[in-house]
Amino acid sequence: MSIIEIKDVDHFYGTGSARFHALHAINFAADAGTLNVISGPSGSGKSTFLAIMGGVLTPTSGMVTINDKRYDQMGQKQRDALRLDEIGFVLQSYKLLPYLTVADQFKFVEKVRPEGNVSQVENKEILETLGISSLLNKYPGELSGGQQQRVAIARALYTDPAIILADEPTAALDSSRVTEVGTLLKNLALKYNKAVIVVTHDLRLTDFADHLYEIEDGRLTQKS
Amino acid sequence: MFLALKEIKKEKLRSGLVIGMIILIGYLIFILTSLALGLARENTAAINSWNINKVALNDNANVDMRQSLVTKKQARQLTENEAYLGETSVVAKNAGNKKISAVFVGLEDNQFIAQNLKISQGHKVNGPNQLVVDDSLKDKGFKLNSTLYLNGSKTPYKIVGFTKNAKLNIAPVFYGQLDSWKTLRGVGTQSTAPVASAIVSKNAKYNNNQTSVQTYTKQQIINKLPGYTAQNNTFVMMIAFLMVISLVIIAVFLYILTMQKLPNYAVLRAQGIPGKVLVGATISQSFLLVVSGVIAAGLLTALTAVIMPVTVPMSFDVPILVFAGIGLLVMGLLGSLVSLKSVLNVDPVKVIGG
Repeated sequence: MSIIEIKDVDHFYGTGSARFHALHAINFAADAGTLNVISGPSGSGKSTFLAIMGGVLTPTSGMVTINDKRYDQMGQKQRDALRLDEIGFVLQSYKLLPYLTVADQFKFVEKVRPEGNVSQVENKEILETLGISSLLNKYPGELSGGQQQRVAIARALYTDPAIILADEPTAALDSSRVTEVGTLLKNLALKYNKAVIVVTHDLRLTDFADHLYEIEDGRLTQKS
Repeated sequence: MFLALKEIKKEKLRSGLVIGMIILIGYLIFILTSLALGLARENTAAINSWNINKVALNDNANVDMRQSLVTKKQARQLTENEAYLGETSVVAKNAGNKKISAVFVGLEDNQFIAQNLKISQGHKVNGPNQLVVDDSLKDKGFKLNSTLYLNGSKTPYKIVGFTKNAKLNIAPVFYGQLDSWKTLRGVGTQSTAPVASAIVSKNAKYNNNQTSVQTYTKQQIINKLPGYTAQNNTFVMMIAFLMVISLVIIAVFLYILTMQKLPNYAVLRAQGIPGKVLVGATISQSFLLVVSGVIAAGLLTALTAVIMPVTVPMSFDVPILVFAGIGLLVMGLLGSLVSLKSVLNVDPVKVIGG
């Protein structure tokens, strides 16, 4: 069964003569345990699609379902709660709060959402899998870009969400690091049974995808 | 609170600057408040020590006890709640030709003000040409049995006692007998001559209905003391402006701090962190910064109180300073409200695809 399902989604920006059709009749679904890569050039509608999947943008029309819940019909508070429970974001920039140590990033989530998070044992295992268990007392500013990214992934997994949404996770990385991140995301999807959805313009990630999609001029097509 | 504490801990310099600024504003407010209180008390200490509620004065005196003269007929029969009080300005000179401006207050020995006068050293006035004077004169070299000459007269007056809180219009008070007041005021002793400047009463319902006599409350008398209201209003305006300035400065600083965090807040909103958590973090940060600043300013004020010479007219009244501190805290919290709109309107879409 699909964790996230998007049916006939259209999205427009602006009104009147400035009205712009950003997404055209998008249909998409992702299952647990799979890595789904959506690639496309700049301006193709990737970010709009990601924002709609992440529940921070309401589509002009169409249906978004996460774990059988109609996301597009929810109020703000319900959406916040569903995002916190079901979606883990790994964003391209501003990933971590600069004044919280790695350990505090998890403590903060614990304070906002005291129940339903991964256990301390599970979190330790995730940190070891990601190779960042020795960085707990470091601030984000003391970490390399790659380390920050892995902490962001651990933070995204901490709430035990059904979906991990990653925005350009390999931006500005060399080929060996792209392979590392691609392998990591694929393994995370399998090991923790998450639907991992990556939105990227980086075609080097397509080799790791279970399902590959291409978006261009707001139209989504499945390639594999 | 968690985010606020962590941010303050990490951003020590930034937080220190804000706290430092609040300390300076808080210290200035506390010192000005203490100075205002000190001066106000030195204006009114004697009146407040008399424990009176009403004062009857000649209605031509413009509510000024020093200008008032009341005859025996106008005074009517006094009860045990009423007393004669004669007041006049004097310049006292001691044997060493040291001059001091003071207020002479003449009292009847058997009436309640003289009876209730608290003596810190020596004894009460019990004869002619005796004086009980304010404690502060000890610092100026006046002692028990010192001889003084008032208004250039040849009549020697002897200090027989000292008392606390004997200040009127910031000048020290000399308590003596009403007959001495009559002499100093030059009103004579014939039966139609004035008997006092005022009739004062402990009774809140006292009202002298005699012709040319007006009855005032104690507060009306205080408010008409020369310079008293203008001085108080000046301090109140200064403190009020400082409060408003602190509101603006705190608001601006917190606004800048919050603006710098908006991209982080946008990420948190995208992650589903409720807006109320971010609002709570902003208000908590403001609260912690202002409370730290106010406490430090309070400690600095306490230290100042210890080292400040007694001659400086300052009064460190803890409840009033706490009230001023709470006022500053309220201003800080109001200042943080300016940032809340930005926090609540943060758009998580902006950090996606960034």
